[in-house]
Order: sequence, then structure tokens, then C-alpha cells
Amino acid sequence: MDPAGIFATSFARDAALVRTRPQQIALALFLAFLVLLPLLFGPRLLAISTLILISSVIVLGLQITTGYAGQINLGQAAFMGVGAYTTGVLATKLAMPFWLTIPLGGCSAALFGFIFGLSAVRIKGFYLALTTIAAQALFHFFVLNLPWFGGSNGLTIDPASLFGFTFSTDISIYYLCLAVAALMTFGAYGIVRGRYGRAFVAVRDDDVAAGIMGIDVVATKATAFLVGAFYAGVGGGLWAYFVRFVAVDQFTLFNSIWFIAMVIVGGMGSITGALVGVVVIKCIQEGFVSLGPSVVAQFPSIGGDVVFALMNVFLGSVIAAFLIFEPRGLMHRWNILKRSYRMWPFPY
Amino acid sequence: MFDPIDFLNYLINGALVGLLYALIAMGFIVIYRASKVFNFAQGELVVFGGFVVWWMVIQTGLPLVVALPLAMVMSALFGLAIERIFFSRLVGESGFAMVMVTIGLLILIRGLILVLFGPQVRPFPIIFPLKPVIIGDILIPRSLLIGAMITVVVGLGLSWFFNNTRAGLKMTAVAEDHQVALSMGISVKRSIAFAWALGAVLSTLGAIIYLSGKSLNFLASDIGLSALPVALLAGFESIAGVLLAGLIVGAVQGLVTAYVDPVIGGAVGSVFPFVIMLVILFIRPTGMFGWRTIERV
Repeated sequence: MDPAGIFATSFARDAALVRTRPQQIALALFLAFLVLLPLLFGPRLLAISTLILISSVIVLGLQITTGYAGQINLGQAAFMGVGAYTTGVLATKLAMPFWLTIPLGGCSAALFGFIFGLSAVRIKGFYLALTTIAAQALFHFFVLNLPWFGGSNGLTIDPASLFGFTFSTDISIYYLCLAVAALMTFGAYGIVRGRYGRAFVAVRDDDVAAGIMGIDVVATKATAFLVGAFYAGVGGGLWAYFVRFVAVDQFTLFNSIWFIAMVIVGGMGSITGALVGVVVIKCIQEGFVSLGPSVVAQFPSIGGDVVFALMNVFLGSVIAAFLIFEPRGLMHRWNILKRSYRMWPFPY
Repeated sequence: MFDPIDFLNYLINGALVGLLYALIAMGFIVIYRASKVFNFAQGELVVFGGFVVWWMVIQTGLPLVVALPLAMVMSALFGLAIERIFFSRLVGESGFAMVMVTIGLLILIRGLILVLFGPQVRPFPIIFPLKPVIIGDILIPRSLLIGAMITVVVGLGLSWFFNNTRAGLKMTAVAEDHQVALSMGISVKRSIAFAWALGAVLSTLGAIIYLSGKSLNFLASDIGLSALPVALLAGFESIAGVLLAGLIVGAVQGLVTAYVDPVIGGAVGSVFPFVIMLVILFIRPTGMFGWRTIERV
């Protein structure tokens, strides 16, 4: 909702994403911060930021499938892997440029996701989550056994290049990821505010009622998987160019669960929430990774493995705690706060 | 080329492994059947049970007769604790939230196991004698054979319990609909608590049979996923059906591993259950004996 006293006087105003001047300023400052980030941060923080950008693309997709359309997806890492491998194979075997391989990686992942989404024809609820677990297992099998993917050795990929410029430094790959992530975020806002996004929400809230209103429930669910997997595939493509090495153990069921955790913590059914969730979880992860060794150095009796294990304990508790106490995530809290200060001085 | 004795060997061993899957799958089904929660953390429960047994037998050095029942009691308490901490707060919430909580549990239990027991590979106590049973030319691992008998007995017993006793039928009502069950005076919380305790005990039993004489670390939880297709083929509501489903999936998987793997190369056998799972989901998602629900508006 808008602050008190502000009313949209035209459709364009009403449909606008950025609605008030303070919002415009905040967005501009945030974008400026993102653009200037490589100058402010050291190489380690820059790498983390790049990872956050890549994960945001993937989690945006998961937000659309799970948060908006309500379909549990435990295969997001597999979809990401399909994208990464497609990008890798097209780039190394066919020497395609990155502006072709990344979208094509997205498309192949989308196709893969769509096939599993199609099982929505006969099933619903958590049964659908089972097909995504099967997707995870089949992905591993195909990658390890089909001849084009380098088997368990993985694929090594040359850096992306455009008009003779190669994205080989950390800073250039950061800007590439930033550009793609910005584009995909904008796209996600478009999807969820449009006809398809409303269909997703209707199906999530009650698929029987949605069907009666004339929404093709099966097609909507399959589309949700298609879109979500496309995002995962694009993220996977970026991952391939960032790490420049693709191996099957980068895309496990466990990674999928991390992505789901990001959606839950950020807030289901909110694009901004997905981004918030990625930043929060990634920062906690990196906090454990970087603080862990010094804690172990202080108390050698703990042992290094425990830090990683504690990270899992923490994450599991966070997922459960959010679902029990704040099922709508951090974004919901923020929206309550925003509503109350926008209403001020009126009580409601 | 084709050797009937080999074929029989693969078939029988596969079927017995399938019955082991059936025991693990029974954990899924019991929890689903009494609380309408699909538990993704089943594999972690198996590992937890395994570690409790390992701790009791190897670390504390208790004799098996004392250690195994004690391990069962401990895992039942663990199941009750899970219910108390998480699911008693979620009665009446959407199924979505509950399934997601089990995903959180998956990570949480795995982390707890790593904190408490570490990632090292541990030797699991030998509970059943290692010497295989030999009938004619057929070689059968003793642990699997005894395990299969236990599975069949437990399966039939639980099936009778859920379909014929008052307490079992109450839980069945909870699996149908929490609200309706509540309005008929059935305690949903108690049902869910019982389900988790029973599910944890079954997992420990599964761990004992699966791991006897092998090695144990946190990666053993993969068996939870391997058991999924069995639960699905049976239908999530049928406890006796899971025995038949286990036999079918296990036998087919055993034959595929034996005859298709050498031809194609790679682990077709390990991925095959998931292919079965996909086929079931596309053709008949309620499995062989599941409830077919009709939605009316």
C-alpha cells in the first residue's frame, strides 16, 4: 500500500513498480552501491557478492515455483545443473558466445523442469515434490553416464567473452552477474504482477477454486516449473562462467534444500523476499565459514567439522522456526513495519 | 550365458533388499498414516537410530540384549521430542508447512549427528551372524533373511493395528483430515506423537538390519530416498501393501543391476527405482493400494 495521502491518478501510476520519490532514491542508491561494490570490497567479499547474485537468480525461480505457485520443488539444484552443463557443453564443444549459451542453458533447464512439472496432470501436493527428487537422481545419472558431460571429471570452461573482451577477472564476472541478475529480477516482478503471476497465486491458494474460475490448473503448474527451472538454468549458466568448472557434486539435493531455506527465510510469495533470503542465508553461511577457523583456533577441542555441522543445525532450526513462528518470512515483518509507519499518525 | 541359478540368486537377494526398503518405507507410511505428514527426514532418522545403536553397543559396551531395546526406547523418545518441539505447534496448519518442516528437520538432524558423532566412518556392531545362509546353490545374507522375516511380521502386525483396532482407526481418521478428526474428539497431537515415536523405532529397526556388520556414517541416510519408490508403489496409506511393493521393486532392481548394468555401464540399478517412481507418478499416483480421494465442490 502507498503512504497516506498518495493516490494513483492514472493506470501507469497505479501499475508502476517504483511508486514514490523516496523509493526512487533508495533504488538508485542501492543500484549505485551494487555498481560501485567492486571498488569498496576486497576480492573475498566480491566473490561472495557474485555468489549472492547467482543464487538470487536461482532463488527467484524457486520463489516463483514454490512461493507463488505453491509447488514444492526439491530439484532446483538439478535444474541449475542442467543449465550449467548445457552452457558448458555449448561453450566448449560448439564454441558459442555466452549471450547464446546462458539463455540456451536456461531453455534446456526449463524443458527439463517442464517435463517434471507435467506430472501435475495427475498429482498434486507433496507428490509433486517427489518427482523433483526423481529429477535430482536422474540428473546425476545422466551426467555421469552420457558421454558429453565429462562424467565424474566435470567440465572445464573458458571465460566468457564479448567483442574480444574476456570476462576473466573477478570484477568483470561480477558485472556480468549483476547485469543478468538485475534483468531477471525485473522479469520476475513482471511475471508475478501479470496474468500468469495471478494465476500462480490463485492455484497456490486453492487449486479447485482456481479451476472453477477458468484457470487451467495443470498448465499453470507446469508453467510454474518451466519458469522456475528457466531461472535456475540461467543461474547455472552464470555459475559455469564464474567457477569455470562444472561437476556433478555441485548440484546435490542438499543444495536444493539450501535454496528452499532462502525462500522460507526471506518470505514466500515475495520477489524482494527471495533476494533478502539469499543475502541473509549466504551471509550466515559465509560467517560460519570465515569465523569457524578462528573459533576452532581458540578452542581446539571443538574440531573443524563441528563448525560445518553447527551450520546445518542452525539452518535446520531456522527453517523450522520460521515455518512455526513466522511462516511468511522476514518480508512479512518488514511489511508490517512499513504499513505502520506509512499509516502514521492514523491508527489504521 | 544365462544361468538360472544366478538369476535366482539375483532375484532372491533383490527381493530381500526390497523388503529392507519396505521396512524403511513403513516408517514413511506410519508417519503419514497417523499424522498426514510426509516425512522427508526418514533417512536421517535411520542414521540417528544407527548411531544410537553404535553408541550403546560399541562405546558403552552394553550387551546386545540390553542395548537394542534401549536404543528403541531412545529413538522413540527422540520421535516424541520431534513431535513436541515441532509438530504439536503445527496442528491444523497447511500440509505444505508440515512437509517443509520435515525438510528443515532433515538438515537439523544431519547437523546434530555431525555435531554429536562426527563425520567419521564407524564400524557398526555385528548383530546378525555374518555367515550366509546357503540353500542349494543360492547364497543369502543372514541379516537380510532375518530382517525380511521381521519386516513381514511387523508389517502385518501394524497393518492389523491400523485397520482393526480402535486406536489405529483413530489415527487413520487423523490422516484423512485433522479438522474432522478433532471435531470427532480424536486427539490429533497424541496421534502425531505416536506416529513419530513409531516411525523413529521402525527406522532404528531398519538401521539395525541394514547396517549390521557394515560401516556407518551420516551418508547412510540415502536409504531413505531409495525407500521412497517402495512407499509410492504401495500407496502412502497401505502398510501391508508396502511388503508386496518392496518385493517387486527390490526384485526388479536386483535384476536390472545384474543384467542391464554391464550392458549400459554405470549405475542403472541405483537410478532405476526413481524411474519406477516417475512412471507410478505419471500413471497411477495413488500406488497399488493407496486411497483414491475424490474432490467435490
